[in-house]
Amino acid sequence: MVLRNHFMVEQIQGIIVVNTETIPGKLITESFGVVSGSTVRAKNIGRDITQGLKNIMGGELHKYTELLEESRKEAMSRMVSDAMARGANAIVNVRFATSAVTTGAAELFAYGTAVKIE
Amino acid sequence: MIGDLLGILLISFGIFAIALTIIWAITYPTLLIWGLIFSGKNLDAMIANTVERETEIKAKIGKDPLSNIDGGYRKDVKSSGIVWAGAVYGPSHWHLFIGFLNNIVGGSVDIFQKVISAGRAESMQRLREVAINEGWDEVINVRIDTSPMTPASHKKGLKAVEVFAYGTGIKYS
Repeated sequence: MVLRNHFMVEQIQGIIVVNTETIPGKLITESFGVVSGSTVRAKNIGRDITQGLKNIMGGELHKYTELLEESRKEAMSRMVSDAMARGANAIVNVRFATSAVTTGAAELFAYGTAVKIE
Repeated sequence: MIGDLLGILLISFGIFAIALTIIWAITYPTLLIWGLIFSGKNLDAMIANTVERETEIKAKIGKDPLSNIDGGYRKDVKSSGIVWAGAVYGPSHWHLFIGFLNNIVGGSVDIFQKVISAGRAESMQRLREVAINEGWDEVINVRIDTSPMTPASHKKGLKAVEVFAYGTGIKYS
């Protein structure tokens, strides 16, 4: 779970990200509107071929799991920097959307409401 | 001169294409038979593994750390933050063939249901493990998304779905 560390650092820097409407024990004082971040990523063609062969046998496609993990982290950190630019210190009600652009490439989209909490 | 170069280029491309076709003609049936023999067994082993880890983690904590409710039922929350986990799963081409036969007859297509619910159980189990590793006591407001890896408009391509589970981790003081 090395991939996550980067994001944990950002949480320590003061941005709290949750997918509930309120943050337990905190009071929301100001809203800055919807913030979002998105990214489209793909693996190289060698990976695509090996994963295509793996798909014939069935089971988990580890490289694509990894790909989506990385891209989700990237979309998330873009969303967080958007919120930071607006002067927010938390993002509530975060939702994710995934759409397949073509085989082996995925668009990841994260959005939420930037707020100020006390 | 240019004609010669073009000829050499075309011939080498032709040889490359033929070689690829031969490799594919050998590889595909081999992998399909491999799937016929092993994919059912692998799927059962994966389900058993997930169930084992799930019972282990539930026995350790005493309850299921995941819940679907939108928080606010306990006051002593110290910190909160998002946690997520995902997995990409696909049926083998042998399973696709069985699914195709099922589809002709109609009714429930059990084999796809089995593959996808195995993937879903696995990603929920990963969410539990990630939450415990990051030090959260409980995960509330859990959502589960399922999305195909290949757009519906594409006939060919990867036959796999991504199951993604996320929620808000909370820590009690």
